[in-house]
Amino acid sequence: MNAEHKPAYGYSTQLLSTSLEAWQKQVWQPAVEAQPERQEQFLTQSMRWDIKPLYTPLDLEEIGFRYEADLGFPGQAPYTRETRPTGYRSRLWAMTQVTGFGTGEDSAKRWAYMLEQGLDSLIIEYDLPTTNGYDSDHPLARGEVCRAGMALDSLQDMEDALNFPLDKLNNIMSVCNAPQPVNLAMLIAALEKKGKALDSIRLMMPNAILIEYTCVGRYIFPPKHGLRIATDVIEYVIRNHPTWAPLSVVGAQLYAARANPVQEIAFSFAIAKSYIDALLERGFHIDEVAPYVRHITGIDTDFFESVAKLRAYRKVWGRIMRDQYGAQKPESLRLQLMSSPGTMDMTLQQPLNNIARLGIQMLACAAAGGAYTINTPLHDEAHALPSEEAIAIGASIHNIVAHESGVADTIDPLAGSYYVEYLTRRVEDAVLEEMEKIDAMGGALKAIEEGYFQRKLAEQQNARNRAIESGERKLVGVNYLVKPGEKREIEIFRLDDSAEQRQLERLRKLRASRDNSKVQRHLDAVRAACRDGGNLVPPILAAVKDYVTHGELCQVMREEFGEHDPNALTPDI
Amino acid sequence: MSMSAPIRILLAKMGLDTHTIGVTVLAKGLRDAGFEVIFSGFKQTPEVVAASALQEDVDVVGVSSLSGGHMRYMPHLLELMREQGLDDTLVILGGVIPEEDIEALADIGVDRVFTMGASMDDIVAYIRRAVAEKRGEALA
Repeated sequence: MNAEHKPAYGYSTQLLSTSLEAWQKQVWQPAVEAQPERQEQFLTQSMRWDIKPLYTPLDLEEIGFRYEADLGFPGQAPYTRETRPTGYRSRLWAMTQVTGFGTGEDSAKRWAYMLEQGLDSLIIEYDLPTTNGYDSDHPLARGEVCRAGMALDSLQDMEDALNFPLDKLNNIMSVCNAPQPVNLAMLIAALEKKGKALDSIRLMMPNAILIEYTCVGRYIFPPKHGLRIATDVIEYVIRNHPTWAPLSVVGAQLYAARANPVQEIAFSFAIAKSYIDALLERGFHIDEVAPYVRHITGIDTDFFESVAKLRAYRKVWGRIMRDQYGAQKPESLRLQLMSSPGTMDMTLQQPLNNIARLGIQMLACAAAGGAYTINTPLHDEAHALPSEEAIAIGASIHNIVAHESGVADTIDPLAGSYYVEYLTRRVEDAVLEEMEKIDAMGGALKAIEEGYFQRKLAEQQNARNRAIESGERKLVGVNYLVKPGEKREIEIFRLDDSAEQRQLERLRKLRASRDNSKVQRHLDAVRAACRDGGNLVPPILAAVKDYVTHGELCQVMREEFGEHDPNALTPDI
Repeated sequence: MSMSAPIRILLAKMGLDTHTIGVTVLAKGLRDAGFEVIFSGFKQTPEVVAASALQEDVDVVGVSSLSGGHMRYMPHLLELMREQGLDDTLVILGGVIPEEDIEALADIGVDRVFTMGASMDDIVAYIRRAVAEKRGEALA
């Protein structure tokens, strides 16, 4: 063996092989015969990969593991150990939760409460009419206004929503993918009106339209126009507000649609490449755009699979940026990640059990590191929008993991575990293989148009469902330790039913009181930009300042770009 | 064993709710159980769903709802179905449905609500039993 490649663990391969074999025969075998293992086979929860009873340095040798090449040091390539040199020792992750409901005024009250609980970042969700590009008085909006998020019809709603003390707020993430330029414009205009220096808050947008076509479904326009609109937003932000974050590829949505870790990373990176290619076509250099590409991942309850996933995420990203795009700057190679423990693992049954699940997921996120923000879903997720009690418990889970568990006190504490390193490499290799397949198809846009991602996700959904129904995969409270005749043990949040009426009344008054002579002129300007390929953000920003509504602006884009067929989401039903 | 016609079911999504997993998994499970499954497509109105139920001559209409819009569109759908003489069509609803709503849904004519975690076997068994009853057949 080459001396410089000798593992630094102080063992000889040959002696170790011999002693492992002896242990298996003389110690393990008789023990298993006396007391057989609990299961015939042990599998990771999501990949369904075989788990051996014991991992040793021999497993690392088998995969050709090399410390320098596979791990390196925090803040340096290949970034497996951490993207930032000090991990969580200098600065903890930003602690956040998703929320938004009712009118702007209702949301502002809730956000003020959340900041009082010790959170410093918000993720704003909008109702379905908003994310689908309709005003609250559109016929398709009936019954959905103010429900799954905040209603946003015009700048006045955003002004109301930001009407709380902004001094403790560090980050706002605003989730409104298809109409992102309208949403961005309203946030800029509202912050300006509040007299807030725009760069004192970090505004983040997922702007993740390509994900919507694969699973969530809150799209409006056909994919190639969706990509153009998203690229306008990214370009505008890079040029005008360089400290903001105009793109996050929401792998967490793929996770929620049951993508396994390998699929989540591979599909997300393929999607990220589509955005990057579109920006490069506009004349940017890779080192100008790569630092703006962020990712959001969904983390599930299998602790080791999650840790391996998080470490492989950052390792593969740096490699793609360097090898496929020739990126040079360290900030181009460092994956910018937000981790989101798993909304989809929150069970309806025995919802208090979800607090334990969240603890495990958060622990995996904090131990694996690499996330600048961690978002917790809440234990009542499967029942309703979160109650105030659930929000407070969610904030405590962050702080218990941060301050009591010790996992955030050294960098990448699980590195060197034979199992963790073996699994990390296995995820990495499988991701690269899947990405080659997608590249061969012609990239993410093609894979979406042809339904490849959608079909793969449907297969996963069916397989997971079968595994749970057959009992092969145990879920406490769902198919194991079930309480017959269970009654809900928690209080849930009920939305005030008057919200929709209040919102409609507000919109009616706005349409009557604004200067309607200006509206048409603004809409014409937006239409012209749709046609001539000019950036859509400036004319939309001018329009929202004169209270042109969200739905009016989306309608013009609908007329110009057409609409995407909703059934493309489920090519096989 | 009776040689009855296969059970036909229309799976429907109304309003702007585009949660796909439930309806995708259900379509596959019901087909595997031998049902004929028709999917309404996403973002439909109660008018379109009621018209499809009539035109496709289905035994069952299964609505999937995960965004809380069910109390608005279910009464309207059932009213339209009654107007079209579809009183005998079994109507089931699944998804995120708060317990508090279940009684009100039964009152307006929803035959059965399945909440998250309901098993495919239970759903299939329920539909077989209820359709056989409506058809006046004995269960095989």
